[in-house]
Amino acid sequence: MLSPTLMWRGVKDLGVHPWAQALTLAAVTLVAFLGGLFLLMLHNLDRELAAARGSAAFQVYWKPSASQADVARQWEELAAMPGLADMQTFTPDQALSDLMAAMKGNLDTNSLAALKGQNPLPPTALLVFDGPGGNAGTWAKDMVAKLSARPGVDRVNYNPLQMDLARSWSGFTRKVAWPLMAFLALVVGLSVGNTVRLSLLSRQNEVEILQLVGAGRWYIQLPLLTGGAVQGLVGSALALGMLKALQVGVADLLAAPPLMLTLRFLPLPDALLLTATVTGVCVLASVVAMRE
Amino acid sequence: MVAVQRLSHNFGSHWALKDVSFTLGKGEFLFLFGPSGAGKTTLLRILHAALPLSRGLAMVAGFDLRKLSRADVPRLRRSVSVVFQDFKIMPERSVAENVALPLEVRGLSRLQIQRRVRAVLRSLELEHKSACACATLSGGEQQRVAIARAIVVNPKVILADEPTGNLDHDLSVRLMEVFSQFHQFGATIILATHDRSLIDIPKSAQVLELSGGQIGGGPAPEPEGPAC
Repeated sequence: MLSPTLMWRGVKDLGVHPWAQALTLAAVTLVAFLGGLFLLMLHNLDRELAAARGSAAFQVYWKPSASQADVARQWEELAAMPGLADMQTFTPDQALSDLMAAMKGNLDTNSLAALKGQNPLPPTALLVFDGPGGNAGTWAKDMVAKLSARPGVDRVNYNPLQMDLARSWSGFTRKVAWPLMAFLALVVGLSVGNTVRLSLLSRQNEVEILQLVGAGRWYIQLPLLTGGAVQGLVGSALALGMLKALQVGVADLLAAPPLMLTLRFLPLPDALLLTATVTGVCVLASVVAMRE
Repeated sequence: MVAVQRLSHNFGSHWALKDVSFTLGKGEFLFLFGPSGAGKTTLLRILHAALPLSRGLAMVAGFDLRKLSRADVPRLRRSVSVVFQDFKIMPERSVAENVALPLEVRGLSRLQIQRRVRAVLRSLELEHKSACACATLSGGEQQRVAIARAIVVNPKVILADEPTGNLDHDLSVRLMEVFSQFHQFGATIILATHDRSLIDIPKSAQVLELSGGQIGGGPAPEPEGPAC
Protein backbone atom coordinates (compact mmCIF):
# COMPACT_ATOMS: atom_id res chain seq x y z
CA MET A 1 0.00 0.00 0.00
CA LEU A 2 1.24 3.51 -0.77
CA SER A 3 2.74 5.56 2.01
CA PRO A 4 0.27 8.50 1.70
CA THR A 5 -2.61 6.01 2.04
CA LEU A 6 -1.04 4.53 5.15
CA MET A 7 -0.42 8.00 6.58
CA TRP A 8 -4.02 8.97 5.92
CA ARG A 9 -5.09 5.77 7.71
CA GLY A 10 -3.01 6.94 10.69
CA VAL A 11 -4.93 10.22 10.75
CA LYS A 12 -8.30 8.48 10.36
CA ASP A 13 -7.48 5.98 13.11
CA LEU A 14 -7.24 8.83 15.60
CA GLY A 15 -11.03 8.92 15.43
CA VAL A 16 -11.40 5.26 16.37
CA HIS A 17 -10.76 5.90 20.08
CA PRO A 18 -11.97 9.51 20.26
CA TRP A 19 -11.93 9.92 24.04
CA ALA A 20 -8.52 8.38 24.55
CA GLN A 21 -7.11 10.48 21.72
CA ALA A 22 -8.82 13.64 23.02
CA LEU A 23 -7.32 13.13 26.48
CA THR A 24 -3.88 12.50 25.00
CA LEU A 25 -4.24 15.61 22.87
CA ALA A 26 -5.29 17.63 25.92
CA ALA A 27 -2.22 16.45 27.83
CA VAL A 28 0.08 17.25 24.91
CA THR A 29 -1.55 20.68 24.50
CA LEU A 30 -1.26 21.61 28.18
CA VAL A 31 2.37 20.55 28.45
CA ALA A 32 3.19 22.40 25.22
CA PHE A 33 1.32 25.44 26.58
CA LEU A 34 3.38 25.42 29.79
CA GLY A 35 6.58 25.11 27.77
CA GLY A 36 5.42 27.90 25.46
CA LEU A 37 4.49 30.10 28.43
CA PHE A 38 8.03 29.82 29.77
CA LEU A 39 9.43 30.63 26.33
CA LEU A 40 7.08 33.62 26.06
CA MET A 41 8.17 34.97 29.44
CA LEU A 42 11.84 34.44 28.65
CA HIS A 43 11.44 36.09 25.25
CA ASN A 44 9.75 39.19 26.70
CA LEU A 45 12.18 39.47 29.61
CA ASP A 46 15.07 39.20 27.17
CA ARG A 47 13.51 41.84 24.95
CA GLU A 48 12.92 44.30 27.83
CA LEU A 49 16.44 43.85 29.12
CA ALA A 50 17.86 44.03 25.62
CA ALA A 51 16.15 47.40 25.21
CA ALA A 52 17.90 48.64 28.36
CA ARG A 53 21.24 47.05 27.71
CA GLY A 54 21.21 47.50 23.98
CA SER A 55 22.69 50.97 23.97
CA ALA A 56 25.42 52.74 25.87
CA ALA A 57 25.13 56.50 26.39
CA PHE A 58 28.14 58.80 27.03
CA GLN A 59 27.73 62.45 28.02
CA VAL A 60 30.79 64.51 26.96
CA TYR A 61 31.40 67.87 28.66
CA TRP A 62 33.85 70.35 27.15
CA LYS A 63 35.50 73.06 29.21
CA PRO A 64 33.47 76.31 29.17
CA SER A 65 36.59 78.00 27.80
CA ALA A 66 36.77 75.66 24.78
CA SER A 67 36.45 77.35 21.39
CA GLN A 68 32.97 76.77 19.94
CA ALA A 69 34.53 76.37 16.46
CA ASP A 70 36.80 73.57 17.76
CA VAL A 71 33.88 71.90 19.52
CA ALA A 72 31.72 72.07 16.38
CA ARG A 73 34.52 70.44 14.34
CA GLN A 74 34.79 67.67 16.95
CA TRP A 75 31.04 67.10 16.80
CA GLU A 76 31.39 66.43 13.08
CA GLU A 77 34.15 63.90 13.76
CA LEU A 78 32.16 62.23 16.53
CA ALA A 79 29.12 61.93 14.27
CA ALA A 80 31.19 59.72 11.96
CA MET A 81 32.20 57.26 14.71
CA PRO A 82 31.35 53.61 14.02
CA GLY A 83 28.47 52.18 16.05
CA LEU A 84 27.00 55.59 16.88
CA ALA A 85 23.20 55.24 16.99
CA ASP A 86 22.23 58.74 18.09
CA MET A 87 23.90 62.03 18.94
CA GLN A 88 22.53 65.20 20.52
CA THR A 89 24.67 68.31 20.86
CA PHE A 90 24.14 71.38 23.01
CA THR A 91 25.92 74.72 22.70
CA PRO A 92 25.99 76.69 25.98
CA ASP A 93 23.15 78.90 24.71
CA GLN A 94 21.04 75.90 23.65
CA ALA A 95 21.63 74.33 27.04
CA LEU A 96 20.56 77.54 28.77
CA SER A 97 17.40 77.81 26.64
CA ASP A 98 16.50 74.20 27.43
CA LEU A 99 17.12 74.86 31.11
CA MET A 100 14.88 77.93 31.01
CA ALA A 101 12.14 76.00 29.26
CA ALA A 102 12.39 73.21 31.84
CA MET A 103 12.33 75.66 34.79
CA LYS A 104 9.44 77.76 33.50
CA GLY A 105 6.96 78.40 36.29
CA ASN A 106 9.31 77.20 39.01
CA LEU A 107 12.04 79.81 38.81
CA ASP A 108 12.49 83.42 37.90
CA THR A 109 13.62 82.91 34.34
CA ASN A 110 14.53 86.57 33.98
CA SER A 111 17.61 85.99 36.13
CA LEU A 112 18.61 83.09 33.86
CA ALA A 113 18.00 85.22 30.74
CA ALA A 114 20.38 87.79 32.16
CA LEU A 115 23.16 85.16 31.95
CA LYS A 116 23.10 85.21 28.11
CA GLY A 117 26.48 86.36 26.87
CA GLN A 118 28.21 85.28 30.08
CA ASN A 119 26.86 81.70 30.11
CA PRO A 120 28.71 79.39 32.57
CA LEU A 121 27.31 76.18 30.97
CA PRO A 122 29.77 74.09 28.87
CA PRO A 123 29.15 72.69 25.37
CA THR A 124 28.05 69.06 25.66
CA ALA A 125 27.25 66.07 23.47
CA LEU A 126 25.18 62.99 24.30
CA LEU A 127 26.50 60.03 22.29
CA VAL A 128 24.43 56.85 22.15
CA PHE A 129 26.17 53.74 20.80
CA ASP A 130 24.69 50.39 19.84
CA GLY A 131 25.35 47.71 22.46
CA PRO A 132 28.88 46.40 22.12
CA GLY A 133 29.59 42.72 21.52
CA GLY A 134 32.12 40.83 23.61
CA ASN A 135 33.48 42.47 26.75
CA ALA A 136 31.19 45.45 27.30
CA GLY A 137 33.00 46.75 30.36
CA THR A 138 36.37 47.05 28.62
CA TRP A 139 34.74 48.59 25.58
CA ALA A 140 33.07 51.27 27.75
CA LYS A 141 36.31 52.11 29.57
CA ASP A 142 38.18 52.40 26.25
CA MET A 143 35.46 54.66 24.89
CA VAL A 144 35.60 56.91 27.97
CA ALA A 145 39.40 57.15 27.61
CA LYS A 146 39.15 57.90 23.89
CA LEU A 147 36.55 60.64 24.37
CA SER A 148 38.35 62.14 27.40
CA ALA A 149 41.55 62.44 25.35
CA ARG A 150 39.90 64.82 22.86
CA PRO A 151 41.15 68.43 23.05
CA GLY A 152 39.12 70.69 25.34
CA VAL A 153 37.10 67.83 26.89
CA ASP A 154 36.56 68.37 30.60
CA ARG A 155 34.95 65.03 31.53
CA VAL A 156 32.92 62.11 30.17
CA ASN A 157 30.05 60.48 32.07
CA TYR A 158 28.50 57.09 31.39
CA ASN A 159 26.28 54.79 33.43
CA PRO A 160 28.22 51.64 34.32
CA LEU A 161 24.96 50.08 35.61
CA GLN A 162 23.85 49.58 32.01
CA MET A 163 26.94 47.52 31.34
CA ASP A 164 26.50 45.63 34.61
CA LEU A 165 22.93 44.85 33.58
CA ALA A 166 24.16 43.49 30.26
CA ARG A 167 26.76 41.37 32.01
CA SER A 168 24.24 40.14 34.62
CA TRP A 169 21.73 39.16 31.95
CA SER A 170 24.36 37.38 29.94
CA GLY A 171 25.40 35.47 33.10
CA PHE A 172 21.76 34.73 33.93
CA THR A 173 21.02 33.30 30.50
CA ARG A 174 24.21 31.25 30.56
CA LYS A 175 23.83 29.90 34.11
CA VAL A 176 20.07 29.77 34.69
CA ALA A 177 17.90 30.33 31.61
CA TRP A 178 19.50 27.79 29.27
CA PRO A 179 19.78 25.02 31.88
CA LEU A 180 16.16 25.80 32.81
CA MET A 181 15.19 25.56 29.13
CA ALA A 182 16.97 22.20 28.88
CA PHE A 183 15.16 21.01 32.02
CA LEU A 184 11.86 22.22 30.61
CA ALA A 185 12.55 20.41 27.33
CA LEU A 186 13.22 17.25 29.34
CA VAL A 187 9.96 17.67 31.29
CA VAL A 188 8.03 18.26 28.04
CA GLY A 189 9.75 15.24 26.51
CA LEU A 190 8.98 12.91 29.40
CA SER A 191 5.37 14.07 29.90
CA VAL A 192 4.38 14.17 26.25
CA GLY A 193 6.40 11.06 25.43
CA ASN A 194 4.90 8.99 28.21
CA THR A 195 1.35 10.14 27.41
CA VAL A 196 1.68 9.22 23.74
CA ARG A 197 3.40 5.94 24.64
CA LEU A 198 0.55 4.93 26.98
CA SER A 199 -2.00 5.95 24.36
CA LEU A 200 -0.32 3.68 21.82
CA LEU A 201 -0.08 0.78 24.26
CA SER A 202 -3.87 0.86 24.42
CA ARG A 203 -3.77 -0.05 20.72
CA GLN A 204 -1.65 -3.14 21.37
CA ASN A 205 -4.57 -5.40 20.47
CA GLU A 206 -4.91 -3.68 17.09
CA VAL A 207 -1.18 -4.09 16.38
CA GLU A 208 -1.35 -7.77 17.34
CA ILE A 209 -4.28 -8.34 14.96
CA LEU A 210 -2.46 -6.57 12.13
CA GLN A 211 0.55 -8.81 12.70
CA LEU A 212 -1.69 -11.90 12.66
CA VAL A 213 -3.17 -11.02 9.27
CA GLY A 214 0.31 -10.62 7.77
CA ALA A 215 0.88 -6.88 7.95
CA GLY A 216 4.52 -5.88 7.56
CA ARG A 217 6.41 -3.58 9.90
CA TRP A 218 6.00 -0.48 7.72
CA TYR A 219 2.28 -1.10 7.28
CA ILE A 220 1.81 -1.21 11.07
CA GLN A 221 4.26 1.50 12.11
CA LEU A 222 3.70 4.27 9.57
CA PRO A 223 0.06 5.01 10.56
CA LEU A 224 1.02 5.00 14.25
CA LEU A 225 3.95 7.36 13.63
CA THR A 226 1.68 9.61 11.58
CA GLY A 227 -0.90 9.62 14.36
CA GLY A 228 1.80 10.62 16.86
CA ALA A 229 3.05 13.39 14.58
CA VAL A 230 -0.49 14.71 14.06
CA GLN A 231 -1.10 14.78 17.81
CA GLY A 232 2.14 16.69 18.30
CA LEU A 233 1.30 19.18 15.53
CA VAL A 234 -2.30 19.73 16.61
CA GLY A 235 -1.31 19.88 20.30
CA SER A 236 1.37 22.51 19.70
CA ALA A 237 -0.93 24.49 17.38
CA LEU A 238 -3.60 24.55 20.09
CA ALA A 239 -0.99 25.52 22.69
CA LEU A 240 0.20 28.40 20.48
CA GLY A 241 -3.43 29.49 20.05
CA MET A 242 -3.90 29.50 23.83
CA LEU A 243 -0.66 31.45 24.26
CA LYS A 244 -1.83 34.03 21.71
CA ALA A 245 -5.15 34.39 23.53
CA LEU A 246 -3.30 34.83 26.82
CA GLN A 247 -0.93 37.38 25.30
CA VAL A 248 -3.79 39.41 23.83
CA GLY A 249 -5.73 39.24 27.12
CA VAL A 250 -2.85 40.18 29.39
CA ALA A 251 -1.00 42.65 27.14
CA ASP A 252 -3.28 45.59 28.05
CA LEU A 253 -3.02 44.88 31.78
CA LEU A 254 0.76 44.84 31.64
CA ALA A 255 0.93 47.94 29.44
CA ALA A 256 -0.87 50.07 32.06
CA PRO A 257 1.04 51.96 34.80
CA PRO A 258 2.92 51.15 36.95
CA LEU A 259 4.24 48.13 35.01
CA MET A 260 4.30 49.71 31.53
CA LEU A 261 5.50 46.43 30.03
CA THR A 262 4.93 45.43 26.42
CA LEU A 263 4.06 41.74 26.09
CA ARG A 264 4.86 40.49 22.60
CA PHE A 265 4.00 37.06 21.16
CA LEU A 266 6.66 34.45 20.47
CA PRO A 267 8.66 35.17 17.32
CA LEU A 268 8.21 32.70 14.46
CA PRO A 269 11.49 30.78 15.07
CA ASP A 270 10.55 30.18 18.72
CA ALA A 271 7.02 29.08 17.77
CA LEU A 272 8.46 26.71 15.16
CA LEU A 273 10.99 25.39 17.67
CA LEU A 274 8.20 24.62 20.15
CA THR A 275 6.12 22.89 17.45
CA ALA A 276 9.08 20.88 16.17
CA THR A 277 10.10 19.81 19.69
CA VAL A 278 6.62 18.64 20.70
CA THR A 279 6.02 16.89 17.36
CA GLY A 280 9.44 15.26 17.46
CA VAL A 281 8.85 14.00 20.98
CA CYS A 282 5.46 12.55 19.95
CA VAL A 283 7.01 10.69 17.00
CA LEU A 284 9.90 9.46 19.17
CA ALA A 285 7.47 8.24 21.84
CA SER A 286 5.52 6.38 19.14
CA VAL A 287 8.73 4.64 18.04
CA VAL A 288 9.51 3.67 21.65
CA ALA A 289 5.95 2.37 22.19
CA MET A 290 6.14 0.25 19.04
CA ARG A 291 9.46 -1.26 20.11
CA GLU A 292 7.81 -2.29 23.37
CA MET B 1 1.25 -28.36 2.76
CA VAL B 2 1.94 -28.91 6.47
CA ALA B 3 4.65 -31.26 7.71
CA VAL B 4 5.61 -31.61 11.35
CA GLN B 5 8.32 -33.97 12.62
CA ARG B 6 9.26 -34.69 16.24
CA LEU B 7 8.08 -31.25 17.28
CA SER B 8 8.52 -30.48 20.99
CA HIS B 9 7.94 -27.34 23.01
CA ASN B 10 8.28 -26.62 26.70
CA PHE B 11 7.30 -23.74 28.97
CA GLY B 12 9.85 -23.93 31.78
CA SER B 13 9.65 -27.38 33.27
CA HIS B 14 6.38 -28.21 31.54
CA TRP B 15 6.35 -29.92 28.15
CA ALA B 16 3.43 -28.53 26.18
CA LEU B 17 4.31 -30.71 23.16
CA LYS B 18 6.51 -33.76 22.89
CA ASP B 19 7.58 -35.48 19.68
CA VAL B 20 4.51 -34.56 17.65
CA SER B 21 4.64 -35.62 13.99
CA PHE B 22 2.08 -35.52 11.18
CA THR B 23 1.81 -34.58 7.52
CA LEU B 24 -1.05 -32.92 5.65
CA GLY B 25 -1.35 -32.55 1.89
CA LYS B 26 -3.11 -29.80 -0.03
CA GLY B 27 -6.83 -29.66 0.72
CA GLU B 28 -6.73 -32.02 3.70
CA PHE B 29 -8.69 -31.46 6.90
CA LEU B 30 -7.21 -32.32 10.28
CA PHE B 31 -9.01 -32.29 13.60
CA LEU B 32 -6.75 -31.69 16.56
CA PHE B 33 -8.75 -33.24 19.31
CA GLY B 34 -8.00 -33.17 23.01
CA PRO B 35 -8.95 -31.69 26.36
CA SER B 36 -7.83 -28.28 27.60
CA GLY B 37 -4.06 -28.22 28.17
CA ALA B 38 -3.43 -30.96 25.64
CA GLY B 39 -1.12 -28.71 23.57
CA LYS B 40 -3.51 -27.86 20.71
CA THR B 41 -3.11 -24.09 21.01
CA THR B 42 0.66 -24.35 21.42
CA LEU B 43 0.90 -26.41 18.22
CA LEU B 44 -1.23 -23.91 16.27
CA ARG B 45 0.76 -20.97 17.63
CA ILE B 46 4.01 -22.57 16.49
CA LEU B 47 2.54 -23.25 13.05
CA HIS B 48 1.83 -19.55 12.44
CA ALA B 49 5.08 -18.38 14.06
CA ALA B 50 3.54 -16.83 17.17
CA LEU B 51 5.85 -19.13 19.15
CA PRO B 52 9.38 -20.04 18.08
CA LEU B 53 10.15 -23.53 16.89
CA SER B 54 12.71 -24.79 19.37
CA ARG B 55 12.83 -28.55 18.69
CA GLY B 56 11.82 -30.62 15.69
CA LEU B 57 10.95 -29.71 12.11
CA ALA B 58 7.93 -27.91 10.66
CA MET B 59 7.08 -26.85 7.12
CA VAL B 60 3.95 -24.75 6.54
CA ALA B 61 2.81 -23.53 3.09
CA GLY B 62 6.38 -23.86 1.81
CA PHE B 63 8.00 -22.05 4.75
CA ASP B 64 10.56 -23.90 6.84
CA LEU B 65 9.81 -22.62 10.34
CA ARG B 66 13.36 -23.37 11.54
CA LYS B 67 14.78 -20.88 9.03
CA LEU B 68 12.05 -18.29 9.32
CA SER B 69 13.45 -14.75 9.62
CA ARG B 70 11.50 -11.83 11.13
CA ALA B 71 10.86 -10.50 7.65
CA ASP B 72 9.42 -13.89 6.58
CA VAL B 73 6.76 -13.94 9.32
CA PRO B 74 4.33 -11.53 7.56
CA ARG B 75 4.74 -13.52 4.32
CA LEU B 76 3.96 -16.79 6.12
CA ARG B 77 0.89 -15.20 7.70
CA ARG B 78 -0.40 -14.09 4.31
CA SER B 79 -0.55 -17.77 3.35
CA VAL B 80 -1.85 -19.03 6.67
CA SER B 81 -5.04 -17.65 8.22
CA VAL B 82 -5.85 -18.14 11.87
CA VAL B 83 -9.15 -18.20 13.76
CA PHE B 84 -8.92 -17.77 17.51
CA GLN B 85 -11.27 -18.80 20.25
CA ASP B 86 -11.19 -15.21 21.57
CA PHE B 87 -11.88 -13.87 18.02
CA LYS B 88 -9.08 -11.28 17.96
CA ILE B 89 -11.20 -8.76 16.09
CA MET B 90 -11.25 -4.99 16.49
CA PRO B 91 -14.45 -4.33 18.44
CA GLU B 92 -14.72 -0.63 17.63
CA ARG B 93 -14.46 -1.20 13.87
CA SER B 94 -17.23 -2.38 11.62
CA VAL B 95 -17.72 -5.95 10.43
CA ALA B 96 -16.71 -5.00 6.89
CA GLU B 97 -13.59 -3.19 8.10
CA ASN B 98 -12.49 -6.21 10.13
CA VAL B 99 -13.01 -8.61 7.27
CA ALA B 100 -11.29 -6.27 4.80
CA LEU B 101 -8.15 -5.99 6.94
CA PRO B 102 -6.11 -8.88 5.46
CA LEU B 103 -7.09 -7.77 1.93
CA GLU B 104 -5.87 -4.22 2.63
CA VAL B 105 -2.61 -5.63 3.97
CA ARG B 106 -2.18 -7.46 0.67
CA GLY B 107 -2.72 -4.21 -1.25
CA LEU B 108 -5.90 -5.11 -3.14
CA SER B 109 -7.92 -2.34 -4.77
CA ARG B 110 -10.93 -0.87 -2.99
CA LEU B 111 -13.29 -2.45 -5.55
CA GLN B 112 -11.76 -5.92 -5.18
CA ILE B 113 -11.93 -5.61 -1.41
CA GLN B 114 -15.60 -4.60 -1.47
CA ARG B 115 -16.54 -7.50 -3.77
CA ARG B 116 -14.73 -10.15 -1.76
CA VAL B 117 -15.90 -8.86 1.61
CA ARG B 118 -19.52 -8.79 0.41
CA ALA B 119 -19.27 -12.33 -0.95
CA VAL B 120 -17.79 -13.75 2.24
CA LEU B 121 -20.23 -11.92 4.50
CA ARG B 122 -23.12 -13.25 2.39
CA SER B 123 -21.86 -16.82 2.74
CA LEU B 124 -21.70 -16.42 6.53
CA GLU B 125 -25.09 -14.64 6.72
CA LEU B 126 -23.49 -11.45 8.01
CA GLU B 127 -24.15 -9.13 5.08
CA HIS B 128 -26.86 -7.21 6.94
CA LYS B 129 -24.40 -6.54 9.78
CA SER B 130 -21.72 -5.22 7.45
CA ALA B 131 -21.71 -1.66 8.81
CA CYS B 132 -22.21 -2.60 12.48
CA ALA B 133 -19.39 -2.17 14.96
CA CYS B 134 -18.20 -5.61 16.06
CA ALA B 135 -18.66 -4.64 19.72
CA THR B 136 -22.44 -4.60 19.12
CA LEU B 137 -22.53 -8.20 17.81
CA SER B 138 -23.28 -11.38 19.74
CA GLY B 139 -20.49 -13.85 20.51
CA GLY B 140 -21.58 -16.12 17.66
CA GLU B 141 -21.62 -13.23 15.18
CA GLN B 142 -18.18 -12.10 16.30
CA GLN B 143 -16.88 -15.62 15.79
CA ARG B 144 -18.28 -15.62 12.27
CA VAL B 145 -16.53 -12.29 11.60
CA ALA B 146 -13.26 -13.90 12.70
CA ILE B 147 -13.90 -16.81 10.33
CA ALA B 148 -14.85 -14.45 7.50
CA ARG B 149 -11.58 -12.57 7.98
CA ALA B 150 -9.68 -15.87 7.82
CA ILE B 151 -11.28 -17.17 4.64
CA VAL B 152 -11.63 -13.91 2.68
CA VAL B 153 -8.04 -14.15 1.39
CA ASN B 154 -8.41 -17.73 0.12
CA PRO B 155 -5.50 -18.91 2.25
CA LYS B 156 -3.54 -22.07 1.53
CA VAL B 157 -3.83 -23.10 5.18
CA ILE B 158 -6.39 -22.25 7.87
CA LEU B 159 -5.58 -22.83 11.53
CA ALA B 160 -8.64 -22.64 13.77
CA ASP B 161 -8.32 -22.80 17.54
CA GLU B 162 -11.60 -23.84 19.15
CA PRO B 163 -13.57 -21.73 16.63
CA THR B 164 -16.85 -23.00 18.03
CA GLY B 165 -15.88 -22.67 21.67
CA ASN B 166 -18.28 -19.79 22.33
CA LEU B 167 -21.17 -21.06 20.25
CA ASP B 168 -24.18 -23.23 20.90
CA HIS B 169 -24.32 -26.62 19.23
CA ASP B 170 -26.52 -25.61 16.27
CA LEU B 171 -24.33 -22.65 15.38
CA SER B 172 -21.24 -24.80 15.83
CA VAL B 173 -22.58 -27.29 13.33
CA ARG B 174 -23.39 -24.51 10.83
CA LEU B 175 -19.88 -23.10 11.16
CA MET B 176 -18.35 -26.52 10.65
CA GLU B 177 -20.29 -26.72 7.43
CA VAL B 178 -18.71 -23.41 6.36
CA PHE B 179 -15.25 -24.80 7.07
CA SER B 180 -16.19 -27.96 5.25
CA GLN B 181 -17.28 -25.99 2.17
CA PHE B 182 -14.11 -23.98 2.21
CA HIS B 183 -12.07 -27.15 2.53
CA GLN B 184 -13.68 -28.42 -0.64
CA PHE B 185 -12.18 -25.45 -2.51
CA GLY B 186 -8.70 -26.79 -1.71
CA ALA B 187 -7.65 -25.15 1.56
CA THR B 188 -5.78 -27.21 4.11
CA ILE B 189 -7.46 -26.86 7.48
CA ILE B 190 -6.28 -27.72 10.98
CA LEU B 191 -9.06 -27.27 13.50
CA ALA B 192 -8.52 -27.70 17.21
CA THR B 193 -11.52 -28.66 19.29
CA HIS B 194 -12.49 -30.54 22.39
CA ASP B 195 -16.02 -31.14 21.05
CA ARG B 196 -16.07 -34.70 19.69
CA SER B 197 -19.51 -34.24 18.14
CA LEU B 198 -18.07 -31.94 15.44
CA ILE B 199 -15.59 -34.47 14.09
CA ASP B 200 -17.99 -36.21 11.73
CA ILE B 201 -19.12 -33.09 9.89
CA PRO B 202 -16.40 -32.69 7.27
CA LYS B 203 -16.10 -35.73 5.08
CA SER B 204 -12.73 -37.47 5.03
CA ALA B 205 -11.26 -35.46 7.90
CA GLN B 206 -8.28 -36.86 9.76
CA VAL B 207 -8.19 -36.81 13.54
CA LEU B 208 -5.11 -36.32 15.67
CA GLU B 209 -5.73 -36.82 19.33
CA LEU B 210 -3.45 -34.91 21.66
CA SER B 211 -3.19 -35.48 25.36
CA GLY B 212 -0.53 -34.18 27.69
CA GLY B 213 1.36 -32.77 24.71
CA GLN B 214 1.70 -36.12 22.97
CA ILE B 215 -0.14 -37.83 20.16
CA GLY B 216 -2.36 -40.52 21.54
CA GLY B 217 -2.02 -39.35 25.15
CA GLY B 218 0.07 -40.38 28.12
CA PRO B 219 1.61 -38.20 30.79
CA ALA B 220 3.90 -35.45 29.59
CA PRO B 221 7.50 -36.29 30.53
CA GLU B 222 9.74 -33.91 32.48
CA PRO B 223 12.22 -31.90 30.39
CA GLU B 224 15.88 -32.94 30.42
CA GLY B 225 17.20 -29.72 31.94
CA PRO B 226 16.29 -26.15 32.78
CA ALA B 227 14.55 -24.69 29.76
CA CYS B 228 14.56 -21.01 30.64
